[in-house]
Amino acid sequence: MLEIKSLGYWYQSPDESLFNDVNLKFEADQTYAIIGSSGAGKTTFLSLLAGLDQPKAGEILLDGQALTQIGLTAYRRHQVTTVFQSYNLLPYMSPINNLLTALAITESQHKGDVAYAKQQLQQLGLTDDQMTQNVQHLSGGQQQRVAIARSMCCDARLVVADEPTGNLDETNTEAIIALFQKIAHEQHKCVIIVTHEANVAAACDQTLKLSNGEFEWVTQPA
Amino acid sequence: MNFIHRAGLSLWAKKGRSLLLILLTAAIMLFILTGLLIHSAADTATTNARKSVGASLTLSANRQAAFKKMRQQSKPSSGSRPTLNMTPVKLSTVKKLTKLSQVTGYNATTQTSVNAKSFSAISTTSSMGASPMGGKMGSSSSQGDIQVNGVTATRLVDSFSTKSAKITKGRGITSADANTNHVVIESELAKQEKLAVGDTIKIKTTSTKKVYKLKIVGIYKAASTTSTQMGPNSTDASNQIYAATSLANTFKGSSYKNTADSVTLSISDPGQVSAAKTAAKKLINTSKYSISSDDSSYQQVKTSMKSITSISNKIIWLVTLAGIVILTLIVMLLIRERRHEIGILLALGEARWKIVAQFFTELVFTLIVGLVIASAGGQVVANKLGQQLTSQTQTTQAQTMSTQSGGQMGGGTPGQGTRPSGGMPGQGGQTQKAAQKTKLTTSIDLTTMVELGGLGLAIMFLATVLAAGGILRLQPKKVLID
Repeated sequence: MLEIKSLGYWYQSPDESLFNDVNLKFEADQTYAIIGSSGAGKTTFLSLLAGLDQPKAGEILLDGQALTQIGLTAYRRHQVTTVFQSYNLLPYMSPINNLLTALAITESQHKGDVAYAKQQLQQLGLTDDQMTQNVQHLSGGQQQRVAIARSMCCDARLVVADEPTGNLDETNTEAIIALFQKIAHEQHKCVIIVTHEANVAAACDQTLKLSNGEFEWVTQPA
Repeated sequence: MNFIHRAGLSLWAKKGRSLLLILLTAAIMLFILTGLLIHSAADTATTNARKSVGASLTLSANRQAAFKKMRQQSKPSSGSRPTLNMTPVKLSTVKKLTKLSQVTGYNATTQTSVNAKSFSAISTTSSMGASPMGGKMGSSSSQGDIQVNGVTATRLVDSFSTKSAKITKGRGITSADANTNHVVIESELAKQEKLAVGDTIKIKTTSTKKVYKLKIVGIYKAASTTSTQMGPNSTDASNQIYAATSLANTFKGSSYKNTADSVTLSISDPGQVSAAKTAAKKLINTSKYSISSDDSSYQQVKTSMKSITSISNKIIWLVTLAGIVILTLIVMLLIRERRHEIGILLALGEARWKIVAQFFTELVFTLIVGLVIASAGGQVVANKLGQQLTSQTQTTQAQTMSTQSGGQMGGGTPGQGTRPSGGMPGQGGQTQKAAQKTKLTTSIDLTTMVELGGLGLAIMFLATVLAAGGILRLQPKKVLID
């Protein structure tokens, strides 16, 4: 589904590249965990997969088509959805409106479907009252669940998440991981999670370790 | 159209910021509306002045040519006093002039004096007996105690058209009264002599001493029935009677048949005065007649309103430019403040133009509320400012005119202002007063609001477009991850 060919990325100069000549493949129906030490470049790699930035070398292909050909905006709108570590919810809206806005922008089949949006939020344990108040009035954990619900409700085939359970307790973490597994296996999506939590990585189908600019499969894909 | 919904949610969530934006927009719109209202009112005033004030051409004897001829004919050795030969205007010439497209009508006027026979004129104490007229025209009608104003119709006389004199009983003189002995007398004279409409009075001409019976068809009230100067009885306003030109000519003598002292041609559109004057000059013998134009009232209003229009235009443009600059800076600040939100929208896949459109929509929402506030206050501000501007402009105008006309007044008949000789008493200053009283009537109508809304939209659009660089350059990764 997603193929990375000779990928290279650096901030200042190619001599100080964060990673170079990376070749990887990610498939649908799978959950992937990317682990690595802080500053290794996990989030940068994720931003490239999310279409928020462009590689300095090589290319990323979705079903054989380069992202530059698809167009990064179109790719973000229709093919990928991102869960950020810092939630990144629209601050002047309620959880429901955040979901409805995402559904409208991504031109989802559920565009304007309030009941669907509510169902997604209920699935993540938000009460009716919490759904209609401003997201800034919610706790960090609740906001993270709204962010996850927003990414899950869209029709994108690729879900990338940056420390999605960083602000959740153990019970909620398990529930979220189970939910990611569900959307990967039942909705035939590809879920890529950047995490430093061992239990999250363990719960994923495949684990990839990034160290010194090199990617290494901890659990080899089948 | 999700961006419209987002714009509404954003404005509602940030009520304080929205309120400040609305107040700022309202202030900008208020000033622009004031400018538009004054501009529109000045245009209307000019148009109304064009319609109501009108203009005229006056055809009369060419005094300069007559004096020149008199000097050439005079022989210093003969010892006789030279005589001034003024040629009265032939009505046949007037008929030719009335065919000009710009001319809508005419008023032929002839003045003469007669003596009261069956009644007594209002007497005023005066030791002066000399006739103010000279030359052949003057001598042909030695001063009597009643002044006869021969007119085509009284309604065409300035004092009647400006309502400073009005018919109180009966009717005025009309063109149908030509070749009749119908007259209109002043109310004070009627009161003193117990005369009423339908009564007959007798007068005696000063030249032939012939007695005529005149029928009173109307009584008018003059603006002032007191003599403003010491002089012969006929100069008293109450001793002035109006009759058809033909009757006044009869009193002057048979040689004056089908003539007039002067003829005022009405021009409906003051803008056509110059063209009418040029065309008229081609139809008259300029060595005998002179033609003068009078559109001073219109010109005064026009100049005054032009000055106000210029000021209002400056207000509009300055406030519009200031509005664009202020709003551009505010939108730039808003974009900086909301970079994170813009980054989120970009990460979700929103098109950049839709994010720009969201900012524009927010401004349009504030504009709509701002327009309502501005329309409520605009009328008051425009009225105050308009009055102030009109007052200042017209004071300056009046000062300029009085300085300019100071030298010209000396040669004219008292009370006639700058009009050519031959005009009716009390004419002249009336129309100028009317012009000076021109007021700016500001009213908010649909056109003004559409114009204001259009300008407002243009300001908002330009401000958004100029500030949109921040959105177009923004990289979501830098905002959301770096």
